Amino acid sequence: MEKSNKEYRLREVKCPAGFNWVNLKAELRAVWESNVKAWKIDLAYPVSFIRQLISPVVFMLPYLLYGLVLIGGRYSENLKQLVGTGDVVAFIFTGYIMMGFIGTAVWAMGFSMRREQWFGTLEAIYVTPASRLGQVLGMALHSTVHQGAGTIIQFIFIYATFGLALNIGGILPALGIFALMMFALYGFGIVISALSLILKEGWIVSDSFYSIMTILSPVAYPLTVLPTLAQQASAIFPTAPALIGMRSFLIDNYVPEVVGNVFLHLIVLGAVWILFGVFVFHLADKYVRKRGMLKKF
Amino acid sequence: MMQSAYEQSPWRSNLFVVWNELVKNMKFLMAYPVIFIFWAIFPIFWFIPFILQGEAFVGGLQSANFAQITGSGEYVPFIVIGAVLNSYVNTLLYGMGESIRREAYQGTLDYVFAAPCNKAYVLIGKALSESVSSTIFAASQLAISTLLFGINLTLGMMLPVFFIVILLILGLYGLSLVLAALSLMYKQSHDVSETIGYVFYVFSPVRYPIESLPFWAQIIGKLIPLTYALIIVRSIMLLGMGLSALYWEILALLIIDAFLILAGFYMFNWMENKTKKSGTISHY
Repeated sequence: MEKSNKEYRLREVKCPAGFNWVNLKAELRAVWESNVKAWKIDLAYPVSFIRQLISPVVFMLPYLLYGLVLIGGRYSENLKQLVGTGDVVAFIFTGYIMMGFIGTAVWAMGFSMRREQWFGTLEAIYVTPASRLGQVLGMALHSTVHQGAGTIIQFIFIYATFGLALNIGGILPALGIFALMMFALYGFGIVISALSLILKEGWIVSDSFYSIMTILSPVAYPLTVLPTLAQQASAIFPTAPALIGMRSFLIDNYVPEVVGNVFLHLIVLGAVWILFGVFVFHLADKYVRKRGMLKKF
Repeated sequence: MMQSAYEQSPWRSNLFVVWNELVKNMKFLMAYPVIFIFWAIFPIFWFIPFILQGEAFVGGLQSANFAQITGSGEYVPFIVIGAVLNSYVNTLLYGMGESIRREAYQGTLDYVFAAPCNKAYVLIGKALSESVSSTIFAASQLAISTLLFGINLTLGMMLPVFFIVILLILGLYGLSLVLAALSLMYKQSHDVSETIGYVFYVFSPVRYPIESLPFWAQIIGKLIPLTYALIIVRSIMLLGMGLSALYWEILALLIIDAFLILAGFYMFNWMENKTKKSGTISHY
Protein backbone atom coordinates (compact mmCIF):
# COMPACT_ATOMS: atom_id res chain seq x y z
CA MET A 1 0.00 0.00 0.00
CA GLU A 2 1.29 3.45 -0.94
CA LYS A 3 2.13 5.78 1.91
CA SER A 4 0.12 8.52 0.20
CA ASN A 5 -2.96 6.32 0.29
CA LYS A 6 -5.78 7.70 2.52
CA GLU A 7 -6.52 4.30 4.11
CA TYR A 8 -2.87 3.89 5.08
CA ARG A 9 -2.95 7.23 6.89
CA LEU A 10 -6.08 6.23 8.79
CA ARG A 11 -4.27 3.15 10.11
CA GLU A 12 -1.32 5.18 11.31
CA VAL A 13 -0.86 5.15 15.09
CA LYS A 14 0.71 8.25 16.54
CA CYS A 15 2.88 7.32 19.47
CA PRO A 16 3.38 10.17 21.91
CA ALA A 17 6.98 10.54 22.99
CA GLY A 18 8.84 12.55 25.61
CA PHE A 19 7.78 13.72 29.06
CA ASN A 20 4.62 15.68 28.30
CA TRP A 21 0.93 15.61 29.18
CA VAL A 22 -0.13 13.68 26.06
CA ASN A 23 2.43 11.00 26.74
CA LEU A 24 1.51 10.77 30.41
CA LYS A 25 -2.16 10.42 29.47
CA ALA A 26 -1.31 7.63 27.06
CA GLU A 27 0.77 5.84 29.70
CA LEU A 28 -2.03 6.17 32.25
CA ARG A 29 -4.41 4.69 29.70
CA ALA A 30 -2.03 1.74 29.29
CA VAL A 31 -1.97 1.28 33.09
CA TRP A 32 -5.78 1.39 33.17
CA GLU A 33 -6.12 -1.12 30.34
CA SER A 34 -3.69 -3.45 32.07
CA ASN A 35 -5.83 -3.16 35.21
CA VAL A 36 -9.01 -3.89 33.22
CA LYS A 37 -7.35 -6.92 31.63
CA ALA A 38 -6.37 -8.25 35.09
CA TRP A 39 -9.97 -7.84 36.29
CA LYS A 40 -11.32 -9.65 33.23
CA ILE A 41 -8.98 -12.59 33.84
CA ASP A 42 -9.88 -12.58 37.53
CA LEU A 43 -13.62 -12.57 36.94
CA ALA A 44 -13.34 -15.31 34.34
CA TYR A 45 -12.64 -17.69 37.25
CA PRO A 46 -15.42 -16.89 39.75
CA VAL A 47 -14.56 -19.69 42.20
CA SER A 48 -10.98 -18.53 42.41
CA PHE A 49 -12.14 -14.90 42.71
CA ILE A 50 -14.41 -15.66 45.69
CA ARG A 51 -11.75 -17.81 47.34
CA GLN A 52 -9.25 -14.96 47.10
CA LEU A 53 -11.80 -12.51 48.52
CA ILE A 54 -12.33 -14.56 51.66
CA SER A 55 -8.68 -15.56 52.07
CA PRO A 56 -7.82 -12.50 54.25
CA VAL A 57 -10.37 -13.77 56.80
CA VAL A 58 -9.12 -17.37 56.58
CA PHE A 59 -5.49 -16.40 57.13
CA MET A 60 -6.24 -13.97 59.94
CA LEU A 61 -8.33 -16.44 61.97
CA PRO A 62 -5.39 -18.55 63.22
CA TYR A 63 -3.65 -15.40 64.54
CA LEU A 64 -6.82 -14.37 66.35
CA LEU A 65 -7.81 -17.77 67.76
CA TYR A 66 -4.26 -18.54 68.80
CA GLY A 67 -4.00 -15.15 70.53
CA LEU A 68 -7.29 -15.65 72.35
CA VAL A 69 -6.35 -19.16 73.49
CA LEU A 70 -2.95 -18.01 74.75
CA ILE A 71 -4.40 -15.46 77.14
CA GLY A 72 -7.81 -17.03 77.73
CA GLY A 73 -9.68 -13.89 76.78
CA ARG A 74 -9.45 -10.74 74.76
CA TYR A 75 -7.14 -8.62 76.91
CA SER A 76 -3.47 -9.23 77.43
CA GLU A 77 -1.76 -7.58 80.39
CA ASN A 78 1.63 -8.10 78.83
CA LEU A 79 0.61 -6.46 75.57
CA LYS A 80 -0.76 -3.53 77.56
CA GLN A 81 2.59 -3.11 79.26
CA LEU A 82 4.34 -3.11 75.90
CA VAL A 83 2.09 -0.82 73.84
CA GLY A 84 -0.48 0.67 76.19
CA THR A 85 -3.44 -1.35 74.92
CA GLY A 86 -4.36 -4.93 75.78
CA ASP A 87 -7.10 -5.51 73.19
CA VAL A 88 -5.62 -8.31 71.10
CA VAL A 89 -8.47 -8.35 68.56
CA ALA A 90 -8.01 -4.66 67.63
CA PHE A 91 -4.24 -5.10 67.68
CA ILE A 92 -4.22 -8.14 65.38
CA PHE A 93 -6.88 -6.78 63.03
CA THR A 94 -5.10 -3.45 62.50
CA GLY A 95 -1.91 -5.39 61.89
CA TYR A 96 -3.27 -8.09 59.69
CA ILE A 97 -4.95 -5.77 57.18
CA MET A 98 -1.40 -4.97 56.03
CA MET A 99 -0.51 -8.56 55.19
CA GLY A 100 -2.62 -8.68 52.04
CA PHE A 101 -1.04 -5.49 50.78
CA ILE A 102 2.44 -6.93 51.27
CA GLY A 103 1.14 -9.69 48.99
CA THR A 104 0.07 -7.04 46.48
CA ALA A 105 3.63 -5.80 46.20
CA VAL A 106 5.38 -9.13 46.36
CA TRP A 107 3.05 -11.43 44.46
CA ALA A 108 0.73 -9.42 42.22
CA MET A 109 3.24 -6.82 41.08
CA GLY A 110 6.27 -9.05 41.35
CA PHE A 111 4.68 -11.71 39.20
CA SER A 112 2.92 -9.48 36.67
CA MET A 113 5.70 -9.88 34.09
CA ARG A 114 6.21 -13.56 34.83
CA ARG A 115 2.48 -14.18 34.34
CA GLU A 116 2.63 -12.63 30.87
CA GLN A 117 5.53 -14.94 30.18
CA TRP A 118 3.39 -17.94 31.14
CA PHE A 119 0.53 -16.71 28.96
CA GLY A 120 2.98 -16.24 26.08
CA THR A 121 2.10 -12.54 25.76
CA LEU A 122 5.22 -10.93 27.23
CA GLU A 123 6.91 -10.37 23.89
CA ALA A 124 3.75 -8.78 22.46
CA ILE A 125 3.65 -6.42 25.45
CA TYR A 126 7.31 -5.62 25.02
CA VAL A 127 6.82 -4.43 21.44
CA THR A 128 3.88 -2.14 22.25
CA PRO A 129 4.88 1.53 22.32
CA ALA A 130 4.25 1.93 26.05
CA SER A 131 6.35 1.75 29.19
CA ARG A 132 6.78 -1.81 30.46
CA LEU A 133 6.22 -0.48 33.93
CA GLY A 134 2.61 0.23 32.91
CA GLN A 135 1.95 -3.50 33.04
CA VAL A 136 3.29 -3.73 36.59
CA LEU A 137 1.40 -0.62 37.73
CA GLY A 138 -1.83 -1.84 36.14
CA MET A 139 -1.49 -5.04 38.11
CA ALA A 140 -0.77 -3.00 41.25
CA LEU A 141 -3.98 -1.02 40.74
CA HIS A 142 -6.01 -4.18 40.23
CA SER A 143 -4.50 -5.93 43.21
CA THR A 144 -4.90 -2.93 45.53
CA VAL A 145 -8.63 -2.71 44.76
CA HIS A 146 -9.02 -6.49 45.02
CA GLN A 147 -7.20 -6.57 48.34
CA GLY A 148 -9.20 -3.55 49.52
CA ALA A 149 -12.43 -5.50 48.89
CA GLY A 150 -11.00 -8.44 50.87
CA THR A 151 -10.11 -6.09 53.73
CA ILE A 152 -13.67 -4.74 53.84
CA ILE A 153 -14.97 -8.33 54.14
CA GLN A 154 -12.37 -8.93 56.84
CA PHE A 155 -13.54 -5.84 58.73
CA ILE A 156 -17.21 -6.84 58.50
CA PHE A 157 -16.39 -10.35 59.75
CA ILE A 158 -14.34 -9.13 62.70
CA TYR A 159 -16.86 -6.43 63.58
CA ALA A 160 -19.76 -8.90 63.50
CA THR A 161 -17.92 -11.67 65.37
CA PHE A 162 -15.80 -9.90 67.95
CA GLY A 163 -16.80 -6.25 67.82
CA LEU A 164 -14.10 -3.66 67.19
CA ALA A 165 -13.24 -0.64 69.26
CA LEU A 166 -11.43 1.62 66.81
CA ASN A 167 -11.04 5.37 66.97
CA ILE A 168 -13.26 6.66 64.11
CA GLY A 169 -11.56 10.08 64.12
CA GLY A 170 -8.25 8.39 63.33
CA ILE A 171 -9.44 6.78 60.11
CA LEU A 172 -8.51 9.71 57.84
CA PRO A 173 -4.88 10.11 59.00
CA ALA A 174 -4.57 6.31 59.05
CA LEU A 175 -5.67 6.24 55.40
CA GLY A 176 -3.03 8.92 54.66
CA ILE A 177 -0.37 6.70 56.22
CA PHE A 178 -1.75 3.75 54.29
CA ALA A 179 -1.46 5.66 50.98
CA LEU A 180 2.15 6.60 51.72
CA MET A 181 2.93 3.00 52.62
CA MET A 182 1.39 1.78 49.36
CA PHE A 183 3.66 4.10 47.34
CA ALA A 184 6.72 2.63 49.01
CA LEU A 185 5.32 -0.91 48.57
CA TYR A 186 4.78 -0.22 44.87
CA GLY A 187 8.48 0.66 44.62
CA PHE A 188 9.33 -2.58 46.38
CA GLY A 189 6.97 -4.49 44.06
CA ILE A 190 8.73 -3.02 41.02
CA VAL A 191 12.04 -4.36 42.36
CA ILE A 192 10.53 -7.85 42.74
CA SER A 193 9.04 -7.74 39.24
CA ALA A 194 12.48 -6.84 37.87
CA LEU A 195 13.99 -9.82 39.72
CA SER A 196 11.28 -12.13 38.41
CA LEU A 197 12.25 -11.13 34.87
CA ILE A 198 15.79 -12.33 35.43
CA LEU A 199 15.41 -15.29 37.77
CA LYS A 200 13.91 -18.53 36.50
CA GLU A 201 12.44 -19.48 39.86
CA GLY A 202 11.26 -15.98 40.81
CA TRP A 203 8.56 -17.29 43.18
CA ILE A 204 11.27 -18.30 45.62
CA VAL A 205 12.48 -14.68 45.77
CA SER A 206 8.90 -13.46 46.25
CA ASP A 207 8.11 -16.01 48.92
CA SER A 208 11.38 -15.36 50.74
CA PHE A 209 10.80 -11.59 50.78
CA TYR A 210 7.20 -12.13 51.86
CA SER A 211 8.29 -14.34 54.77
CA ILE A 212 11.00 -11.93 55.88
CA MET A 213 8.70 -8.90 55.62
CA THR A 214 6.03 -10.74 57.61
CA ILE A 215 8.47 -11.29 60.48
CA LEU A 216 9.84 -7.74 60.34
CA SER A 217 6.35 -6.19 60.32
CA PRO A 218 4.67 -5.90 63.73
CA VAL A 219 1.47 -7.57 62.51
CA ALA A 220 0.56 -9.67 65.54
CA TYR A 221 3.19 -8.47 68.02
CA PRO A 222 4.86 -5.17 68.84
CA LEU A 223 8.22 -4.44 67.26
CA THR A 224 9.89 -4.55 70.68
CA VAL A 225 9.73 -8.36 70.89
CA LEU A 226 12.07 -8.62 67.90
CA PRO A 227 15.85 -8.66 68.42
CA THR A 228 17.48 -5.20 68.09
CA LEU A 229 19.01 -5.97 64.70
CA ALA A 230 15.66 -7.08 63.31
CA GLN A 231 14.01 -3.93 64.72
CA GLN A 232 16.56 -1.82 62.88
CA ALA A 233 16.14 -3.84 59.67
CA SER A 234 12.36 -3.32 59.82
CA ALA A 235 12.89 0.42 59.29
CA ILE A 236 13.85 -0.11 55.64
CA PHE A 237 10.45 -1.62 54.81
CA PRO A 238 7.37 0.60 54.87
CA THR A 239 5.09 -1.80 56.74
CA ALA A 240 6.62 -1.40 60.21
CA PRO A 241 6.40 2.43 60.43
CA ALA A 242 3.00 2.37 58.70
CA LEU A 243 1.57 -0.17 61.17
CA ILE A 244 2.86 1.76 64.16
CA GLY A 245 1.50 5.02 62.74
CA MET A 246 -1.90 3.59 61.86
CA ARG A 247 -2.31 1.96 65.26
CA SER A 248 -1.46 5.28 66.94
CA PHE A 249 -4.45 6.85 65.22
CA LEU A 250 -6.85 3.91 65.33
CA ILE A 251 -6.37 2.41 68.81
CA ASP A 252 -6.99 4.48 71.94
CA ASN A 253 -4.14 4.61 74.48
CA TYR A 254 -1.73 3.01 72.01
CA VAL A 255 1.88 3.93 72.78
CA PRO A 256 4.10 3.71 69.65
CA GLU A 257 7.05 1.35 70.04
CA VAL A 258 9.27 3.61 67.96
CA VAL A 259 9.46 7.36 68.30
CA GLY A 260 9.75 9.41 65.11
CA ASN A 261 7.78 11.10 62.38
CA VAL A 262 5.98 8.29 60.59
CA PHE A 263 4.83 10.53 57.72
CA LEU A 264 8.35 11.75 56.99
CA HIS A 265 9.74 8.23 57.31
CA LEU A 266 7.21 6.90 54.79
CA ILE A 267 7.71 9.78 52.34
CA VAL A 268 11.46 9.11 52.31
CA LEU A 269 10.94 5.34 52.01
CA GLY A 270 8.43 5.86 49.18
CA ALA A 271 10.81 8.08 47.20
CA VAL A 272 13.77 5.74 47.74
CA TRP A 273 11.92 2.52 46.93
CA ILE A 274 10.26 3.95 43.81
CA LEU A 275 13.50 5.42 42.44
CA PHE A 276 15.38 2.23 43.28
CA GLY A 277 12.59 0.11 41.79
CA VAL A 278 12.49 2.02 38.50
CA PHE A 279 16.27 1.90 38.28
CA VAL A 280 16.47 -1.86 38.90
CA PHE A 281 13.57 -2.49 36.50
CA HIS A 282 15.30 -0.47 33.82
CA LEU A 283 18.51 -2.48 34.29
CA ALA A 284 16.66 -5.82 34.30
CA ASP A 285 14.66 -4.84 31.24
CA LYS A 286 17.86 -4.00 29.31
CA TYR A 287 19.57 -7.15 30.55
CA VAL A 288 16.85 -9.61 29.49
CA ARG A 289 16.43 -8.01 26.09
CA LYS A 290 20.15 -8.00 25.42
CA ARG A 291 20.46 -11.67 26.36
CA GLY A 292 17.27 -12.74 24.59
CA MET A 293 15.89 -14.08 27.87
CA LEU A 294 12.32 -12.83 27.47
CA LYS A 295 10.93 -16.21 26.54
CA LYS A 296 12.96 -18.24 29.01
CA PHE A 297 11.32 -19.53 32.14
CA MET B 1 22.11 -58.46 32.00
CA MET B 2 19.03 -56.71 33.36
CA GLN B 3 15.70 -58.42 32.72
CA SER B 4 13.07 -56.33 30.92
CA ALA B 5 9.94 -55.47 32.87
CA TYR B 6 7.92 -57.83 30.64
CA GLU B 7 10.01 -60.84 31.60
CA GLN B 8 9.65 -60.19 35.29
CA SER B 9 6.84 -61.46 37.52
CA PRO B 10 3.79 -59.12 37.78
CA TRP B 11 4.78 -58.31 41.34
CA ARG B 12 8.31 -57.32 40.31
CA SER B 13 7.01 -55.43 37.26
CA ASN B 14 4.74 -53.35 39.43
CA LEU B 15 7.57 -52.67 41.85
CA PHE B 16 9.69 -51.67 38.85
CA VAL B 17 7.03 -49.09 37.87
CA VAL B 18 6.77 -47.72 41.41
CA TRP B 19 10.54 -47.52 41.80
CA ASN B 20 11.12 -45.76 38.49
CA GLU B 21 8.35 -43.27 39.13
CA LEU B 22 9.93 -42.56 42.51
CA VAL B 23 13.40 -42.13 40.97
CA LYS B 24 12.06 -39.87 38.20
CA ASN B 25 10.30 -37.54 40.67
CA MET B 26 13.31 -37.42 42.97
CA LYS B 27 15.47 -36.48 39.98
CA PHE B 28 13.07 -33.62 39.23
CA LEU B 29 13.35 -32.43 42.80
CA MET B 30 17.14 -32.63 42.90
CA ALA B 31 17.39 -30.78 39.57
CA TYR B 32 16.20 -27.63 41.37
CA PRO B 33 18.40 -27.40 44.49
CA VAL B 34 17.14 -23.92 45.37
CA ILE B 35 13.57 -25.24 45.61
CA PHE B 36 14.82 -28.13 47.73
CA ILE B 37 16.60 -25.78 50.15
CA PHE B 38 13.62 -23.44 50.21
CA TRP B 39 11.17 -26.15 51.36
CA ALA B 40 13.66 -27.51 53.87
CA ILE B 41 14.16 -24.16 55.59
CA PHE B 42 11.63 -21.47 54.76
CA PRO B 43 8.46 -22.95 56.28
CA ILE B 44 10.10 -22.17 59.65
CA PHE B 45 9.74 -18.47 58.85
CA TRP B 46 5.97 -18.98 58.54
CA PHE B 47 5.50 -19.99 62.17
CA ILE B 48 8.05 -17.67 63.80
CA PRO B 49 5.42 -14.84 63.92
CA PHE B 50 3.24 -17.10 66.09
CA ILE B 51 6.07 -17.65 68.55
CA LEU B 52 6.76 -13.90 68.71
CA GLN B 53 3.03 -13.29 69.14
CA GLY B 54 2.99 -15.68 72.08
CA GLU B 55 5.91 -13.90 73.68
CA ALA B 56 4.19 -10.53 73.29
CA PHE B 57 0.85 -11.71 74.66
CA VAL B 58 1.93 -13.82 77.64
CA GLY B 59 5.39 -12.38 78.30
CA GLY B 60 7.12 -15.75 78.49
CA LEU B 61 7.19 -19.24 77.03
CA GLN B 62 4.36 -20.66 79.16
CA SER B 63 0.66 -19.93 78.92
CA ALA B 64 -1.60 -20.86 81.82
CA ASN B 65 -4.68 -20.98 79.61
CA PHE B 66 -2.91 -23.16 77.06
CA ALA B 67 -1.98 -25.55 79.89
CA GLN B 68 -5.61 -25.78 80.99
CA ILE B 69 -6.78 -26.76 77.50
CA THR B 70 -3.90 -28.87 76.19
CA GLY B 71 -2.25 -30.12 79.34
CA SER B 72 0.99 -28.35 78.49
CA GLY B 73 1.58 -24.62 78.78
CA GLU B 74 4.51 -24.62 76.37
CA TYR B 75 3.18 -23.07 73.20
CA VAL B 76 6.45 -23.15 71.20
CA PRO B 77 6.63 -26.96 70.73
CA PHE B 78 2.86 -26.93 70.15
CA ILE B 79 3.34 -24.52 67.23
CA VAL B 80 6.43 -26.31 65.88
CA ILE B 81 4.71 -29.74 65.83
CA GLY B 82 1.65 -28.19 64.16
CA ALA B 83 3.75 -26.53 61.49
CA VAL B 84 5.92 -29.56 60.75
CA LEU B 85 2.96 -31.94 60.35
CA ASN B 86 1.10 -29.32 58.33
CA SER B 87 4.02 -29.24 55.89
CA TYR B 88 2.94 -32.75 54.83
CA VAL B 89 -0.43 -31.30 53.89
CA ASN B 90 1.22 -28.56 51.86
CA THR B 91 3.40 -30.92 49.86
CA LEU B 92 1.16 -33.99 49.55
CA LEU B 93 -2.11 -32.21 48.91
CA TYR B 94 -0.79 -29.98 46.16
CA GLY B 95 2.02 -32.27 45.01
CA MET B 96 -0.01 -35.18 43.61
CA GLY B 97 -2.43 -33.09 41.57
CA GLU B 98 0.46 -30.97 40.37
CA SER B 99 2.56 -33.96 39.36
CA ILE B 100 -0.26 -35.16 37.09
CA ARG B 101 -0.56 -31.62 35.67
CA ARG B 102 3.20 -31.51 35.16
CA GLU B 103 3.02 -34.64 33.02
CA ALA B 104 0.36 -32.90 30.93
CA TYR B 105 2.47 -29.73 30.60
CA GLN B 106 5.51 -31.75 29.60
CA GLY B 107 3.48 -33.71 27.09
CA THR B 108 4.22 -37.06 28.78
CA LEU B 109 0.81 -37.81 30.31
CA ASP B 110 -0.39 -39.62 27.18
CA TYR B 111 2.65 -41.92 27.30
CA VAL B 112 2.18 -42.61 31.00
CA PHE B 113 -1.43 -43.60 30.40
CA ALA B 114 -0.57 -45.66 27.33
CA ALA B 115 2.11 -47.61 29.24
CA PRO B 116 1.21 -51.33 29.70
CA CYS B 117 0.93 -51.17 33.47
CA ASN B 118 -1.67 -50.55 36.11
CA LYS B 119 -1.92 -46.76 36.60
CA ALA B 120 -2.41 -47.27 40.32
CA TYR B 121 1.30 -48.17 40.57
CA VAL B 122 2.28 -44.99 38.75
CA LEU B 123 0.26 -43.08 41.33
CA ILE B 124 1.79 -45.05 44.19
CA GLY B 125 5.23 -44.10 42.83
CA LYS B 126 4.23 -40.45 42.67
CA ALA B 127 2.77 -40.59 46.17
CA LEU B 128 5.88 -42.30 47.52
CA SER B 129 8.15 -39.65 46.04
CA GLU B 130 5.99 -36.90 47.56
CA SER B 131 6.18 -38.69 50.95
CA VAL B 132 9.95 -39.05 50.76
CA SER B 133 10.44 -35.37 49.89
CA SER B 134 7.89 -34.28 52.54
CA THR B 135 9.68 -36.36 55.18
CA ILE B 136 13.05 -34.87 54.25
CA PHE B 137 11.59 -31.35 54.50
CA ALA B 138 9.77 -32.09 57.77
CA ALA B 139 12.88 -33.67 59.32
CA SER B 140 14.97 -30.68 58.35
CA GLN B 141 12.41 -28.23 59.78
CA LEU B 142 12.16 -30.25 62.98
CA ALA B 143 15.95 -30.44 63.33
CA ILE B 144 16.36 -26.67 62.84
CA SER B 145 13.47 -25.94 65.23
CA THR B 146 14.99 -28.28 67.83
CA LEU B 147 18.24 -26.34 67.67
CA LEU B 148 16.55 -22.92 67.63
CA PHE B 149 13.83 -23.46 70.22
CA GLY B 150 15.30 -26.26 72.33
CA ILE B 151 12.59 -28.86 71.81
CA ASN B 152 13.17 -32.12 73.65
CA LEU B 153 13.34 -35.15 71.32
CA THR B 154 14.16 -38.78 72.08
CA LEU B 155 14.36 -41.83 69.82
CA GLY B 156 11.73 -43.62 71.89
CA MET B 157 9.40 -40.73 71.25
CA MET B 158 10.16 -40.54 67.53
CA LEU B 159 9.31 -44.15 66.66
CA PRO B 160 5.58 -43.93 67.50
CA VAL B 161 5.53 -40.44 65.95
CA PHE B 162 6.92 -41.92 62.74
CA PHE B 163 4.15 -44.53 62.78
CA ILE B 164 1.52 -41.80 63.12
CA VAL B 165 3.13 -39.79 60.32
CA ILE B 166 2.76 -42.84 58.06
CA LEU B 167 -0.93 -43.02 58.96
CA LEU B 168 -1.30 -39.31 58.21
CA ILE B 169 0.45 -39.76 54.87
CA LEU B 170 -1.95 -42.59 53.97
CA GLY B 171 -4.96 -40.37 54.62
CA LEU B 172 -3.42 -37.57 52.60
CA TYR B 173 -2.73 -40.06 49.75
CA GLY B 174 -6.46 -40.71 49.58
CA LEU B 175 -7.24 -37.01 49.45
CA SER B 176 -4.54 -36.30 46.89
CA LEU B 177 -5.89 -39.12 44.71
CA VAL B 178 -9.23 -37.35 44.72
CA LEU B 179 -7.44 -34.14 43.72
CA ALA B 180 -5.46 -35.94 41.02
CA ALA B 181 -8.76 -37.30 39.68
CA LEU B 182 -10.25 -33.82 39.63
CA SER B 183 -7.10 -32.55 37.95
CA LEU B 184 -7.54 -35.15 35.19
CA MET B 185 -11.12 -34.15 34.55
CA TYR B 186 -11.26 -30.44 35.28
CA LYS B 187 -7.56 -29.60 34.66
CA GLN B 188 -7.46 -26.68 37.15
CA SER B 189 -7.87 -28.49 40.45
CA HIS B 190 -5.75 -25.83 42.11
CA ASP B 191 -8.77 -24.03 43.56
CA VAL B 192 -10.09 -27.25 45.11
CA SER B 193 -6.66 -27.95 46.65
CA GLU B 194 -6.47 -24.42 48.00
CA THR B 195 -9.97 -24.63 49.46
CA ILE B 196 -9.19 -27.97 51.15
CA GLY B 197 -5.97 -26.35 52.39
CA TYR B 198 -8.06 -23.55 53.95
CA VAL B 199 -10.33 -26.10 55.68
CA PHE B 200 -7.29 -27.90 57.10
CA TYR B 201 -5.70 -24.62 58.18
CA VAL B 202 -8.73 -23.33 60.08
CA PHE B 203 -10.45 -26.46 61.40
CA SER B 204 -7.44 -28.61 62.39
CA PRO B 205 -5.47 -27.81 65.53
CA VAL B 206 -2.41 -26.63 63.60
CA ARG B 207 -1.97 -23.37 65.54
CA TYR B 208 -4.47 -23.72 68.39
CA PRO B 209 -6.18 -26.60 70.24
CA ILE B 210 -9.36 -27.88 68.61
CA GLU B 211 -11.25 -27.27 71.88
CA SER B 212 -10.96 -23.53 71.26
CA LEU B 213 -13.19 -23.80 68.18
CA PRO B 214 -17.02 -23.62 68.30
CA PHE B 215 -18.78 -27.01 68.54
CA TRP B 216 -19.82 -27.12 64.86
CA ALA B 217 -16.25 -26.34 63.79
CA GLN B 218 -14.92 -29.09 66.06
CA ILE B 219 -17.13 -31.60 64.21
CA ILE B 220 -15.63 -30.54 60.87
CA GLY B 221 -12.16 -30.69 62.43
CA LYS B 222 -12.75 -34.25 63.59
CA LEU B 223 -13.33 -35.41 60.00
CA ILE B 224 -9.78 -34.34 59.04
CA PRO B 225 -6.91 -36.86 59.40
CA LEU B 226 -4.46 -34.10 60.33
CA THR B 227 -6.50 -33.36 63.48
CA TYR B 228 -5.96 -36.86 64.90
CA ALA B 229 -2.32 -36.96 63.82
CA LEU B 230 -1.69 -33.67 65.64
CA ILE B 231 -3.54 -34.75 68.78
CA ILE B 232 -1.62 -38.06 68.94
CA VAL B 233 1.81 -36.61 68.14
CA ARG B 234 1.41 -33.78 70.67
CA SER B 235 0.20 -36.22 73.31
CA ILE B 236 3.31 -38.35 72.73
CA MET B 237 5.82 -35.52 72.47
CA LEU B 238 4.46 -32.98 74.93
CA LEU B 239 2.57 -35.09 77.48
CA GLY B 240 4.71 -38.25 77.30
CA MET B 241 1.72 -40.50 76.59
CA GLY B 242 2.07 -43.93 74.96
CA LEU B 243 0.26 -45.21 71.87
CA SER B 244 -1.86 -47.55 74.01
CA ALA B 245 -3.44 -44.57 75.75
CA LEU B 246 -4.40 -43.07 72.42
CA TYR B 247 -6.09 -46.03 70.74
CA TRP B 248 -9.38 -44.17 70.09
CA GLU B 249 -7.61 -41.45 68.14
CA ILE B 250 -5.52 -44.04 66.25
CA LEU B 251 -8.67 -45.99 65.38
CA ALA B 252 -10.39 -42.82 64.14
CA LEU B 253 -7.35 -41.98 62.01
CA LEU B 254 -7.34 -45.51 60.54
CA ILE B 255 -11.04 -45.33 59.66
CA ILE B 256 -10.64 -41.92 57.95
CA ASP B 257 -7.56 -43.21 56.08
CA ALA B 258 -9.42 -46.29 54.80
CA PHE B 259 -12.36 -44.18 53.65
CA LEU B 260 -10.18 -41.61 51.88
CA ILE B 261 -8.02 -44.20 50.12
CA LEU B 262 -11.01 -46.16 48.85
CA ALA B 263 -12.75 -42.97 47.72
CA GLY B 264 -9.53 -41.75 46.07
CA PHE B 265 -8.93 -44.93 44.04
CA TYR B 266 -12.58 -45.15 43.03
CA MET B 267 -12.67 -41.54 41.87
CA PHE B 268 -9.36 -41.77 40.04
CA ASN B 269 -10.41 -44.86 38.08
CA TRP B 270 -13.74 -43.28 37.27
CA MET B 271 -12.19 -39.99 36.05
CA GLU B 272 -9.47 -41.84 34.13
CA ASN B 273 -12.07 -43.81 32.17
CA LYS B 274 -14.09 -40.66 31.58
CA THR B 275 -11.13 -38.66 30.23
CA LYS B 276 -10.00 -41.59 28.08
CA LYS B 277 -13.46 -41.77 26.52
CA SER B 278 -13.68 -38.01 25.99
CA GLY B 279 -10.08 -37.84 24.66
CA THR B 280 -9.12 -34.96 26.94
CA ILE B 281 -6.25 -36.60 28.83
CA SER B 282 -3.52 -34.34 27.48
CA HIS B 283 -5.60 -31.15 27.56
CA TYR B 284 -4.49 -28.47 30.01
